[in-house]
Amino acid sequence: MEIVEGHAGEITVVEVKGRIDSTTAKAFGDRLTTLIKTGRSRLVIDLKHIIYISSAGFRALLVAGRAAEQANGTLALCSLSAEVQRLFDLGSFTDLFVIYASREEVLTKL
Amino acid sequence: MSSTEPARAASLVIGNNIAELPKVAELVDRFGMAHRLPQAITNDLNLCLDEILNNAISYGYEDRQLHRIVINLLIKDNFVIADIEDDGIPFDPWNDAPAPPRGTLQSRKLGGLGVQFVKTLMDEVSYVRVREKNVVRIGKRLADGGVDGDR
Repeated sequence: MEIVEGHAGEITVVEVKGRIDSTTAKAFGDRLTTLIKTGRSRLVIDLKHIIYISSAGFRALLVAGRAAEQANGTLALCSLSAEVQRLFDLGSFTDLFVIYASREEVLTKL
Repeated sequence: MSSTEPARAASLVIGNNIAELPKVAELVDRFGMAHRLPQAITNDLNLCLDEILNNAISYGYEDRQLHRIVINLLIKDNFVIADIEDDGIPFDPWNDAPAPPRGTLQSRKLGGLGVQFVKTLMDEVSYVRVREKNVVRIGKRLADGGVDGDR
């Protein structure tokens, strides 16, 4: 897994590449939590280059989403492939997160 | 069958340590490429193995000893199959009911999500306890026409 970060004003874009699984979910979650704790609580997570996300990855997303909410921030997701969207649907997560079709769209609307 | 055809089975032994799971993903990736499995099937198999092995390693042992977990991959009867054998405490993952998918971001519970993924993504799941070992099988049906080497 690789994490690439960028900024658009107050928004931090976190692009994740590869697999978010039992091995990588902790580093992924820790990075999101650190960003929120250091004041970067308006987050966009770009999942375009994710191969899959396991239950450990969903747990990390949930923890980060809660932390962002408690910090009066936002955690939005974008660019889910059809395969990753299917996992969100299977776990009934689609309604828990704000999900946009593309990075361009989320940066316009957030 | 030509002599250069890749074996239709592969095995790996890992220790009961999450840090060893990338070895399993590498094996599945290599196996999938060798048999020209559709990428979506390789990905599903990897995701499901991650869930089962994470459960086995995280909850299956009451001591701090090193244990062996055996993973066998096989293509047979138009299925790609993974058998996972561990000597942890008896545990049938398919009896693990998922938490109801209710609640808000703050209240949502995730228990059993991994097992739910496996049950949904795989076409075959089974469990037996044999000689003090848990043997979990997961299988995914391949499209008609099979894979490289079937024709």
